[in-house]
Amino acid sequence: MSSLAVTWGVTHRTLQLVARLPSTIVPSLVMPVVLTVAFAGAFSGLVLLPGHPADKAIDWFLPLYTIQGAAFAGVRVGIAVARDLTTGFYDRLLLSPASRVSLLAGSLLASPLLSVLSFILLVVIAGLGGASFKAGPAGIVMLGVASFSMALAAGAWSVGLALRFKTQQIAPLMQTTVFLASFLSSAQMPLNLLDGWLHTVAVINPMTNVFALARQGFLGSVNWHDTWPGLVSLAGLTVFFCLFAYRSMQKVTP
Amino acid sequence: MFGTLRKPTSFVPSLLFPLMFLALTSSSLERSISIEGFPEVDSFLQFAVATAVIQGVIFGSISAGSGMAEDIEGGFFERLIASPVARTSILAGRLAGTAALGFCQAWIYFAVTSIFGLSVEGGLAGMLAVAIVAAALAAGVGSISVALAIKTGSAEATEGSFPLFFALLFLSSAYFPRSLMEGWFKAAATLNPMSYLLESLRSIVVAELSALNFFTALGIALGVLVVGLAVASALLKRRLAMDA
Repeated sequence: MSSLAVTWGVTHRTLQLVARLPSTIVPSLVMPVVLTVAFAGAFSGLVLLPGHPADKAIDWFLPLYTIQGAAFAGVRVGIAVARDLTTGFYDRLLLSPASRVSLLAGSLLASPLLSVLSFILLVVIAGLGGASFKAGPAGIVMLGVASFSMALAAGAWSVGLALRFKTQQIAPLMQTTVFLASFLSSAQMPLNLLDGWLHTVAVINPMTNVFALARQGFLGSVNWHDTWPGLVSLAGLTVFFCLFAYRSMQKVTP
Repeated sequence: MFGTLRKPTSFVPSLLFPLMFLALTSSSLERSISIEGFPEVDSFLQFAVATAVIQGVIFGSISAGSGMAEDIEGGFFERLIASPVARTSILAGRLAGTAALGFCQAWIYFAVTSIFGLSVEGGLAGMLAVAIVAAALAAGVGSISVALAIKTGSAEATEGSFPLFFALLFLSSAYFPRSLMEGWFKAAATLNPMSYLLESLRSIVVAELSALNFFTALGIALGVLVVGLAVASALLKRRLAMDA
């Protein structure tokens, strides 16, 4: 069996496992939609604040929850791997002659694929909800790049944790770290409207650049100034967490 | 209640997550209190603390149902109903524990947020009033969650009700004042009783303890409890009849 076939087999198996568990698919699919609608509605008055760059609240919150939904798709994959490790299924994979890189790549590939569904759903909701799409398709492409890369990075982090701890009880750590990484940034408010400790943390948090990359097409035109820091941050996060997952995979024993 | 305390994973996230969310939103949205039309408050923390209490209580109360569903899945429930135990005490015991946890949760939130500068204008009596409403709502949400557990017999399905309560909370004035909302969302928040419960509790925190605010909030919480108990009792009777 070729490495590619092994990779695709593991991806397929992971997607099937996630789809069979409503408790895992609901948070990654339904929650971003609920949160986008809820925040865009509840905080519609937030854009009245002088200095806020958005015309409508949905332009500000939709990219946030698209990226968070993608990141949680990665977390679901991590939980699925932890489940396979708990039940012993993953041990059989580790004992097989398949290369560990192929096994890992299979799990990691499942994260962005899983996030495609919530991405499409949220873009449709953005259209129905009157989002601005000021940069047209280029803005949607930027949102897609940010989302799928985030799914991969969060998936690598979660799978790495699953491989290190080999228990489903690690799931809250996966969820909490992803949640905190998102919200300790310009997730809810632009940098110029943040004060105190949160401003300090948001400035150094690479997620602030990722949100700027994802939001630019909703707030104005797509430009290099907002694009390159986001791409560099995403590349850094993805490489770092993929290396973490790779190291975890090397250390795991059946 | 002791079953819940023995299993920290069932209540620690519901205790910590709203606090974490409160810390993040209070810092993020602090400047929003200067928007024209925003109610007069000392800080966004003061505006949002009642929401955090209710959020924590709702999430924590779902564990009452999932605990019952686990008992059904594990066979403990069957042994319980085979024993000479009054049927009403099966529900009452579980809900009393949930209410007690909700009551304690409110005090924990006030204690933690006080460290970060929260002042409750209603004073100690105001905090007690909020805690009493929190306990009543905990029992109410717990009874709905128990009803789901009896109906489905599945912990996973019961925990799946989480987005339903979550949506109810978000489609209200939980996180921002209704005066700054518009369109269909404002209409939904105006129809949602959760808005009135939260606004009454918020008034106790930001203004003063008044009988009107306390009884409005308590009335809504007790309304949820009455509906939840009626449904849970009916489903329990039906389940017992089927098992007989």
